[in-house]
Amino acid sequence: MVSRRRTSGRRGIAAAALAVAAIAATLGLARAQSLQRLTLTAFTLSADTSHPRFEVPFHLIVRVRVRQRVVAIDNLDLPVLAELELLGDVRTVRASRTGSTYREVITVVAHHTGTIEIAPATLEAIDATDGQAKEFFSNSLRLTIGGGPIDALPGFRLWRSLGWAILWLSIALAAAAMLAWLAIVMARRRPQPLPVAIVPEPARPIPTLDERFADALTVLRASPTRATAVTVRAAIWRALGADAGGTLADAMLAPAAGPRAVRSCLAALERAAFTYDADLAAALEAACAALAACVAKGTP
Amino acid sequence: MTGSHPSALTAAIGATIVGQHDVVESLALGLIAEGHILLEGPPGVAKTLACRALAIALDGTFKRIQFTPDLLPSDIVGTRIFDQRESAFQTVLGPIFANVVLADEINRAPAKVQSALLEAMQERQVTIGPASHPLPEPFVVMATMNPLDAEGTYALPVAQMDRFLMKVEVGYPSSDEELTILERFAVARTVPQARVCSLADVAAWREGARAVHLDAKVRRYIVGIVEASRHADGIAVRGDDGTLLAASAAIDYGASPRATLALANLARARAFLDGRDFVLPDDVRGLAAAVLRHRIGFNYRLAASGVAADRVIAALVAAVPAP
Repeated sequence: MVSRRRTSGRRGIAAAALAVAAIAATLGLARAQSLQRLTLTAFTLSADTSHPRFEVPFHLIVRVRVRQRVVAIDNLDLPVLAELELLGDVRTVRASRTGSTYREVITVVAHHTGTIEIAPATLEAIDATDGQAKEFFSNSLRLTIGGGPIDALPGFRLWRSLGWAILWLSIALAAAAMLAWLAIVMARRRPQPLPVAIVPEPARPIPTLDERFADALTVLRASPTRATAVTVRAAIWRALGADAGGTLADAMLAPAAGPRAVRSCLAALERAAFTYDADLAAALEAACAALAACVAKGTP
Repeated sequence: MTGSHPSALTAAIGATIVGQHDVVESLALGLIAEGHILLEGPPGVAKTLACRALAIALDGTFKRIQFTPDLLPSDIVGTRIFDQRESAFQTVLGPIFANVVLADEINRAPAKVQSALLEAMQERQVTIGPASHPLPEPFVVMATMNPLDAEGTYALPVAQMDRFLMKVEVGYPSSDEELTILERFAVARTVPQARVCSLADVAAWREGARAVHLDAKVRRYIVGIVEASRHADGIAVRGDDGTLLAASAAIDYGASPRATLALANLARARAFLDGRDFVLPDDVRGLAAAVLRHRIGFNYRLAASGVAADRVIAALVAAVPAP
């Protein structure tokens, strides 16, 4: 903080100049009288960063500490910030028993790099210690604007776009995963259908040998062909427990093939299966007759 | 006599031969199916007697040739001799010119004699000198072999074996049958029934057998059985000691297509003999062993395993499902 004494008039000036002098003195007195009577204990100018960056806003802080309780600090002149753009200004005064603290925060931004000089702030006040009107000066600032913001770097926009894309993609994936997880959780919580008890159908009674012979007779009568005879022959063999790949002699050995009627039936079906075409009708008729005899007599 | 059924022939032979029903039936089948029959069995089991009974029952000619190592082809087929009175060669027909020829112990003759017999069996004619002489119809060769006495025998060529329609194993009779043999030949004197059937009957039987229907399913069954003898992979036979013998390992070569024809003809003959005019799978299965046993080339592995050839054949037949 620095102060200078001002001269209010000169003695021995001509009478014509007295009026001017008187006016000047009057003006000087009036000026002195409009100044606040303050006892400065601190008057500083600072920045919130020691290395401000290109295009990055930062703050200049003017701080005045006086012993008087005041609500405002008048006649404070901020330095000309020609190399900085002024973005805002906030002033606060905090009074206490020991005095008042004035704080003014100026938001600025540098549009070019390099070193800039900021002149001291000035405060005109009557120094309460000696009653003299004085101009007090804060310290000056020398700042080096460096680097610039990261988005000013070459390719920054591309990288930033890519970063945003990755970020949004990650968010989308996370959201999808969350939704999937929620769906799984909901599905698991969904009440499962109650197991349906499968009641087996009552087992059909195994057809008796007589019934099978009757079925065979019905089928053969319905379709008297060699193919049907072969099918019926195989069915009768199965019913008797004979091997499908065996011969008539094997089928005759089956326990159920004991009765004469059954053996005649087997022989008749064998004939129908292997006889020549001209004999087929007679053979089929004989097979039907044999089957009918079997059905009529019944099997043991 | 004309118009008799083959069962009359088998009954006539059966009146002489005790038991041996398979042998008797096989002789009749061979006669009906126009084939030659190889009988193999130990001495004294009525092989020759069965052939003689067949020939006598037929109203035809019968000749018996005892095959020996010094037998010559001319001793069988005949030869040409120079007639001094006529000053010309005359052809003397050999014993092969008969309706039924019994070639007794056929494997005792050398290869050249067997070759002479081969032409007669296959072509049913004999070439003597510049002329060929047709054999009488019917012409059936019934050859016997003794499996026990191998000394001084010649192995029959495979080609000749293939000419035999079937090979019949003749075994020993049962005790009851042997007792009946004793009563029939030692106590009494049984004379074979003669001229039960005529040659015309035989011709008619053959015609009837040819007309027997062979269904396509049965034909496929026959081919399947013969093919199984050539491709016996996956078929195994268990020996008496429990060891398993792969059929394919015991067989060097399978049966020929002639076996297929033989099986079909014999099945027809069997159906005809049974009074049927269609063949059943049972006919085929029952005759498969007789048709295949001398046509399949079994190797030393079979002999080493102790498994009978017929068991391998039974396994082959069983592997083919009947229709």
